Amino acid sequence: MTPRPWRRWLAGAAALAGALAPFAGSPYRRAGAEHATASATATATTTIDVAELVRVVADQEDHVSAVELAGWIRARLPGLRVIDVRSASEFAAYHIPGAEHVPLERLTATRFGADETVVLYSELGVHGAQAWVFLRALGHRRVVFLRNGLHEWLDDVMSPTLPPDAPVEAEAAFARVAELSRWFGGSPRRLTGGPAAAPAAPRRRGC
Amino acid sequence: MTAPWIDGDTSAAGLAIAVGCGAAFGAALERAGLGSARKLVGQFYGTDLTVLKVMLSAIVVAMLGAFWLGQLGVLDLARVAVPETWLAPQLVGGVVFGAGMAIAGLCPGTSCVAAASGRGDGLAVMLGMFSGVLVTGLAFAPLRALYEATARGPLTLSAWLGVPYGAVVLAVVAIALAGFGIAERIERPA
Repeated sequence: MTPRPWRRWLAGAAALAGALAPFAGSPYRRAGAEHATASATATATTTIDVAELVRVVADQEDHVSAVELAGWIRARLPGLRVIDVRSASEFAAYHIPGAEHVPLERLTATRFGADETVVLYSELGVHGAQAWVFLRALGHRRVVFLRNGLHEWLDDVMSPTLPPDAPVEAEAAFARVAELSRWFGGSPRRLTGGPAAAPAAPRRRGC
Repeated sequence: MTAPWIDGDTSAAGLAIAVGCGAAFGAALERAGLGSARKLVGQFYGTDLTVLKVMLSAIVVAMLGAFWLGQLGVLDLARVAVPETWLAPQLVGGVVFGAGMAIAGLCPGTSCVAAASGRGDGLAVMLGMFSGVLVTGLAFAPLRALYEATARGPLTLSAWLGVPYGAVVLAVVAIALAGFGIAERIERPA
């Protein structure tokens, strides 16, 4: 092939742009400094801004519902990381599709990008909420926990039910959840009247 | 209300941009001559490494573009989707993909380009590809365990290696330029 001079120019431009990249800092807008702070203090003793955490909890910005999380996963929310903080055996038995296993003891050593939305969950929500406090203390801002843990996922996403006397507006909401549930391989059910109408125990796969 | 940093998406605009990107991608592949199975197979015989060079160029251009546009505040990288990593299924998929590419002499993108430029082999590969998708969908139940195994989330080189983005950019540019140079040297006439 005949050498073409513009190829050398393009290669030179790429080399220059690449050589300058390490000195340019994080390419993420607004979030670069925050990311660096969070990484640097991952193993250090930190001070918690209690007032800020109280505000976040009061505004209910600390948690996510299972149905909302299912919507994020299906919509492939950019930067979403779903973190299962339970034991390895519990994770192996069942976990939310796409979840990563990071037990509490490894959580503070795990790097999360400032552009990532971290969703923490445990069996019932307690450890997930504690993990939320840990990551907030380390400076991570885009972190929430699954309100009632994996049980909420199993109840509301994998086995949602509609009572027989549900109002009309609940019908429409159930149709949306049922469609989401089927996408995850769940079994939405409309309960019939009578003594057998009580919701069946949700499937607890390995919980 | 939760997670105030998450807002709605604009799927109509996104689809229009995707169509535009797809058309540009197809046109670039066609101009690079990658609609020809002979050119792709040349890869495996060391006679024509155009595919490797096109891919290295594409990676460097896209990466430098994303990085510097992010630095200049033109592109918000936090809103750019990073595909999730699923180690085991993607390794298996990579082997199947590679075998299919060696047999057919075309990959999904180039088969569309070949078919669009009137080549019968391109159309045959596309039919095979869609048949494979259909069969995989029908046989999904037994494949599900593999499909969902070893999830690592949207993993980037920077997060995985624990090094700054800029250092990854420099390393990838260096590897690509070296690869480009080596490819030019080992190419020999068919």
